Amino acid sequence: MELNILLQQIFNGISLGGVYALEAVGFGIIFNILKFSNFSHSGVVAISAYFGFFVSRYIYTHFLVTLIITTLAGGLIGVIIEKLIFRPIRLKGAPLTLFLVNSITAAMLVQQFFAATLGDDYYPYPVFMKQTSINIGNLTISKTYTLMLIISGLVLLLLTYVLKRTKVGIALRAASTDIRTPSLMGVNIDFVISVAFFIAGVLGGITGYLLGMTYSVDPFIGSMILKGIIAAIIGGMGSLGGGVIAGLLLGGAECLLIAEIGSSLTQIVIYSGIFVLLLIRPEGIAGKRYIIKA
Amino acid sequence: MIEVNNLTVRYGGVMALDDISLIIPDRKVISIVGANGAGKSTTINAISGMVNITRGGIFLDGKSLHLPPHKIVQKGVVQVPEGRKIFSSITVKENLILGAYQMNDKHRIEENMKKVFEQYPVLEARQNQPGGTLSGGEQQMLAIARALMSEPNHLLLDEPSLGLAPMLVSGIFKMIQDLNKKGLTILLVEQNAQKALSIADFAYVFETGRMVSKGPGKEIAEDPIVKKAYLGIEE
Repeated sequence: MELNILLQQIFNGISLGGVYALEAVGFGIIFNILKFSNFSHSGVVAISAYFGFFVSRYIYTHFLVTLIITTLAGGLIGVIIEKLIFRPIRLKGAPLTLFLVNSITAAMLVQQFFAATLGDDYYPYPVFMKQTSINIGNLTISKTYTLMLIISGLVLLLLTYVLKRTKVGIALRAASTDIRTPSLMGVNIDFVISVAFFIAGVLGGITGYLLGMTYSVDPFIGSMILKGIIAAIIGGMGSLGGGVIAGLLLGGAECLLIAEIGSSLTQIVIYSGIFVLLLIRPEGIAGKRYIIKA
Repeated sequence: MIEVNNLTVRYGGVMALDDISLIIPDRKVISIVGANGAGKSTTINAISGMVNITRGGIFLDGKSLHLPPHKIVQKGVVQVPEGRKIFSSITVKENLILGAYQMNDKHRIEENMKKVFEQYPVLEARQNQPGGTLSGGEQQMLAIARALMSEPNHLLLDEPSLGLAPMLVSGIFKMIQDLNKKGLTILLVEQNAQKALSIADFAYVFETGRMVSKGPGKEIAEDPIVKKAYLGIEE
């Protein structure tokens, strides 16, 4: 591979990895606090992708404005999903399996809804930019990928700030080790869980928008979060930082492999590679660092 | 003053508390002693709103305390849970910040943190370490300090000496007495009955969910029947 193509692929890979990182964190933040795999995240991504399409196509065509609207809508969808299908069973003390079942059902429901209503067509986002790429020396860098990278980076930085520096962020991290005890500190745990779903929804909204903008929207766009879920698992469930690193690595590896061996073979190599990786290091990249003393 | 009136708690079909009444007057140390499974922790958790009450009521200065747990904290009734329940992956300082979750005045939170650090210097030295790296004794100190961050007027302590080295146990009881001298009302639930009774103004003895004896701490400690039957002390 020539050097400039190699560099280009690495750049594209990291940009794509940034989106995987967003997916991994959106998925991981719910796993951390409620300990179940939230597949309904794919539903949030799909609804947001369509939502972003309709807003930017028919209401207001401006990249940043529609991105922000879609992001907030994603957050709201996350909160509503929690209130509708997770809170009722949580208050009844349902086992984790039931949360998993509800999350998968919600994902399927959203997918089938879009397949039944809007499934006959692909929905390409409007073209936001006159030029699609920038040239630096003999490197050609896609503007879409550049935006993806910048946005993912900014969002992850902002999230880090929220989790480290705000009270509700600290409560969220505390609830990841023990969901009962924060109440004794005066924490309204129902609100904290809503916040977690809002954050996950915001990340899902951005993911949906970026994926929709890059690939056009179809009913199965939500299933693209599978890579993010894999990144979360490779990163070490419970470690959001690990998920980000794994997302970037996964994106990078994917783009390099695509350039080298083609896209269909790449997927086979990547999915098989994950089995091997988890066999060698089942706790993931970061794994669990602290144990609880009695 | 907290009043517990005819409190009954059932878990499924199991009777955890059967018609318990007790009074926690302001600025006193009240102790509940008894063996494992006597219903001591259930009582404390009922006051904190952490278990569903089957029958009876809990009142703070005459007003019902039948509220969600975080609202009970707002009223100044704060529990230090059994097993300390330090959040292991967040730092000591973040544990303390959580203790002041209900406060919005940043300046006051900092003030309280300063006070806590003055009182427990080891926590200041370790403020940036994850809570899980502290020793058992330090964790108990942190658990109490965390509760103090919200400026409570009633402190409910569930087995504060459990699992601590004997050397540290006296330190914890000294700490509790100091807090009481500063004006805090204390409900102390303990398996270490002798120690608890020695600092209690008034004590209740529980056995399998029922109250079997009550009286001033020193009297209960000396009562030979109570000693033998409920505290496991033979003369």
